[in-house]
Amino acid sequence: MISDTIMHERTAAQIIADEFLIARAKILELAATLDRLDRADGDIENSKQLVLLSQGMQILCDSESDKAKRVQLLMSRQYEPEWIEKMAVRRRDVEGS
Amino acid sequence: MEYIDPHLHMVSRTTDDYETLARMGCVAISEPAFWAGFDRGSVESFRDYFRQLTDFEPKRAAQYGISHYTWLCINAKEAENVTLSREVIAMIPEFLDAKNVLGIGEIGLNKNTRNEATIFLEHLDLAVKYNQQILIHTPHLEDKYQGTRMILDMLMGDSRINRSRVLVDHVEEHTIEHVLENGFWAGMTLYPVSKCTPQRAVDMIERYGPERLMANSAGDWGPSKPTAIPDLIMEMKKRGHSKELIRRVVYENPKTFFSQSKPFVHG
Ligand SMILES: [Zn+2]
Repeated sequence: MISDTIMHERTAAQIIADEFLIARAKILELAATLDRLDRADGDIENSKQLVLLSQGMQILCDSESDKAKRVQLLMSRQYEPEWIEKMAVRRRDVEGS
Repeated sequence: MEYIDPHLHMVSRTTDDYETLARMGCVAISEPAFWAGFDRGSVESFRDYFRQLTDFEPKRAAQYGISHYTWLCINAKEAENVTLSREVIAMIPEFLDAKNVLGIGEIGLNKNTRNEATIFLEHLDLAVKYNQQILIHTPHLEDKYQGTRMILDMLMGDSRINRSRVLVDHVEEHTIEHVLENGFWAGMTLYPVSKCTPQRAVDMIERYGPERLMANSAGDWGPSKPTAIPDLIMEMKKRGHSKELIRRVVYENPKTFFSQSKPFVHG
């Protein structure tokens, strides 16, 4: 953690009061998108995108924190620490220079 | 409130936008060199672009009392053309003494390819050779996490790089910690759709604190909003944050960062 002084200016009660309608609207957008998919012709059961959306929605409903970061990582290509060797990119060799 | 937008592509915006920015409190802009929406055919095309960035654009900004700074490079998308990239890198020093040039940028990765990484490393050599600050573009969407980690590997693998003179832009929830923990500056880019919103940017300020953190609009020729910083200021005010904290993020931090290269003079 970078900063010990995490700033909480609003209480949870204030945040829910301020943001309930916004969050409600976003859930409805998502619900309507799923209905639209449901009504449409064609089969996307094996769609990678659909799987990602449903895994993302599971993150929203689980009891863990850090949801935004976890959704981001879910939707990300993986990082491989050995990429420099694998790609054979010239390695900097300037230690001590 | 006076503010600075540290990442805004004004060559793509109208003079009316300068007027709006000035009315909203923008006193300075830094404009990294980027992709024009099409691949340019020759080094001469970049030479003209750099003349625009170092000569015409500061004059246009000055009419509205806005200081204009810039960063030079060939962007990651065009870095796939390694030959052209090397010609551009060899030409950049012609412009480094221009009085609004802050450093090399926005360099980075786009699709995280070998050619992009090669040209990124050659830009680092250029920056080190001429003692320039660096502004970094991290990829978007599914490529961001991988690309940001690769960029940090390259920066941290080079002991010549002074991390306090490097700004890593377009950080989001999954990349910000890696950037800040390793001593770099971080920029959050506010987009109207699909990427980081002012609300999520304020969440990151609340979570990580204002140290080495700034925000920008990255307004360009695509869907973007050059007045996104005033939206962030509004959101911070709405949540009850102090004037001092807001000013730190939108004015003092960019000023402190820029001042490592050129003294900040506005107006
Ligand atoms: Zn940009």
